[in-house]
Amino acid sequence: MSAPLTIVVGSGGVGKTTLAAAMAVDEAINDNDTLVMTFDPSLRLKDALGVDANPETNEIQVPFEAGGELWASLLDARRTFDTLIDRYAPDDTSRQRILTNRFYDHLSGSLAGVLEYMASERLFEVASYGKYHRVILDTPPTRQALDFLGAPERIVSFLESGALRIALKPWFDANGNFKAMAKLGILGRNVEAFFDRMVGMELLRDMAEFFQAFAPLYDGFVERALEVQKMLRSDETTFTLVSGPGEQRVADTLFFARKLIETGYRLGPIVVNRVHPKVDDVPEVVNLDDGRGLLAWLGTRDHQGVAQLRELLGDSHPLVVVPLLPDEPTDLASLAELGAMLREQLAR
Amino acid sequence: MDLLKRLQELELVVVTGKGGVGKSVITASLGRLLAARGRKVLLFEVDPRENLHQLLDTEPSGGEIINASPRLYLQHIEPRELIDDLVREKLKVNLLVNRVLSSPVHRHFTEGAPGLKESAVFGRALRMVEGHGPPVLRRPDVVILDAPATGHGVSWLAAPQLVADVVRSGPIGHMAELISAFLGDRSRCGVVVVTTAEEMPVEESLELITSLDERFGREPEVVIANALYPAIDEDDGEDDAAAALWRDRRAINVTQLERLNASWAGPLAEVPLMPIEPGPALIGAIARRIETQLRTL
Repeated sequence: MSAPLTIVVGSGGVGKTTLAAAMAVDEAINDNDTLVMTFDPSLRLKDALGVDANPETNEIQVPFEAGGELWASLLDARRTFDTLIDRYAPDDTSRQRILTNRFYDHLSGSLAGVLEYMASERLFEVASYGKYHRVILDTPPTRQALDFLGAPERIVSFLESGALRIALKPWFDANGNFKAMAKLGILGRNVEAFFDRMVGMELLRDMAEFFQAFAPLYDGFVERALEVQKMLRSDETTFTLVSGPGEQRVADTLFFARKLIETGYRLGPIVVNRVHPKVDDVPEVVNLDDGRGLLAWLGTRDHQGVAQLRELLGDSHPLVVVPLLPDEPTDLASLAELGAMLREQLAR
Repeated sequence: MDLLKRLQELELVVVTGKGGVGKSVITASLGRLLAARGRKVLLFEVDPRENLHQLLDTEPSGGEIINASPRLYLQHIEPRELIDDLVREKLKVNLLVNRVLSSPVHRHFTEGAPGLKESAVFGRALRMVEGHGPPVLRRPDVVILDAPATGHGVSWLAAPQLVADVVRSGPIGHMAELISAFLGDRSRCGVVVVTTAEEMPVEESLELITSLDERFGREPEVVIANALYPAIDEDDGEDDAAAALWRDRRAINVTQLERLNASWAGPLAEVPLMPIEPGPALIGAIARRIETQLRTL
C-alpha cells in the first residue's frame, strides 16, 4: 500500500467500498493524509465517513483522531455531469442549450463511460493538487470491473472517431431541413433516407443539436482523458483487485488480473474477501438446516478457491485473505481493524 | 391469485437485483421451475461474460439458442447485433446494409441513442413469444431476462417508452410503442427482484421497488431473498467459533428480512445457502425450494 494512488477494482457486490474505506482509515492511522473516493457506500458507512450527496461539497474531512488526516468524498453520476458542464461550457447560452436538451437527462445517466470517466478526472484533479499523501479510489458498481478503466480511452477514441465529426457537421440548413450527404452521392441519400424512415428527422435533429451544444467541451475532454490515462499507468498507481470467495470465482479473478496487466496497469495485491473460516471435520452430508455443517462446507469451498488462486498466482502478486466477519464493518474502529489486517498480511 | 399460476402465465419475466446477489442462479432456477411445469422457457443473458451455461452445464451460447434440458433454452444476447439485424432486415440490399452498418452515424446513433439497445432486447423477447423465433425454437412460452444490476434495471424497463417518446415516427418508433405496451401489460410481463438479506442489497431492492412503483405504477411479482443462513436454535448449547459466526450472520439476515417485510407487503420467497457446487444440481434444488416457497405465499 505504498503507492500514492490505489484503485480498488472488482465485480459488483464483493465489498470494494468497505475495503477502500478500511485501507484509507489505516493509512491515516499510519500518518498519511488520505482521501477515499467512494461511489456507493451503505447508509451506515456514509454516516461513519460523514459524506452525503450535497452538491456543494467535494471532499469532507472525517472526524477521526490519527497521525494523518482522513478525508472522504462521494461521487454521483448526475452531479459530476452537471459540474462538468458548468466547468466547460463557455457561456450561459451553451450551458442552457445543453441543460434543456431532452437528451441530457437520459444521456447524463447512460452515455457510455461518462461516470467512470468523471471519476478518473476527479481523481486526476485531486492527485494534481497534491494535498494528500494517499488517494484511494473505490470504483463504480459495474458488473464488469474493467469498464471503469477503459472509460478514458473510450472517450478519447469516441471523440477522435469520425462519428463525432459527422455529428458535428451542420446537418441542417437554416430552415431546419436535413442537408443531403452530398459527397456520398446516391448512396448517401439512400442512407439518409433510411435513417429518416427508421427514426425520423426530428430525432436526428435533436441528437445533432445535443452534440453540437457539447462541442466546446470536447477539447478539454480529450486533453484530460489523455492525462488520466497516463496517470492510471504510472508507477504511482497501484490496483487492488477484490474477489469474492469460492472456487467458481477463481477464473473470474484471474481473468481480471490478466486483463489489468495486459492493459499496462500495475496490479498490486489481490484480496479474496468474505472467506468462510476453515473447519477440520466437514460432514459427509450437510442438512439444509445445519448451519455448522453449511459453514464447514463453505469454509472448505472458499479455502480450495484460495489455494487454487495462490498456486496459479505464484509469487507474482500478494494474496490477501479477508475472513467473513460477524458483520460488515461500518464504524471507524472496525474499519481500522480491517485495514490493519490487510496491512499485516501484506507485510508478510 | 396463486403466485405460481400467475408466474406460469407470464410471457416475459425480468429478473433484476444488485450485483453479486445471485441473479443468474435465480434466473436459471426460475427457468428450470417453469420448464418443469410444462412451459417452454428461453433464458436471455446480456452480461458480456456468459455464465448461465455453466449453471446449466451446456456449451456457451455464443449468440445461439442452446437447449439445456427439456423445454429449457438459453441464449446470450449482444444488443448491438440485434440492432444490426434490424438494419439488415429493413434494408435488404447488401451494399446498403454494409454502408449503413459501417457508417459512423449508425454506430454513433446506436451507441448514443438512449434506450435503443435495451429496447432491442425486449423487442427480441416479444418477437420470440409471438412465434417469430428460428426453427430451433419457434415460439417459447416465456422469456426470462437476466437483467443487469438494479440501477440499470429500472432504466432497462424505461427504455422502450423513452424510445417511443423521442422516436415518434417510422418502424422504430412504432416498435418501441409495441414493446412499451407489452412491458406495461402486467398479464404478460413480470419483474422478479433478487436480493440477499444484507444491508446494501436490501437498500437497493427497496429503492428499486419504490422506483418501479413511481415510474411504472407496478410492483414485482415476488422478491426473492437469496443465500440465507439457516435459522439457528437459540438453545444450541455449544458456543464454538462456527456457532458464533452462524448466529451473527443469521442475525443480519433476520434483521434485514424484517426490514424488507416492513416496507414490502408483497410476496417474499426465501432461498437458503445450499452446500451444493454451482451447476444443474444446485439449480434443481433452488428451483424446488422456490416452488415450495411460492406455494405458501
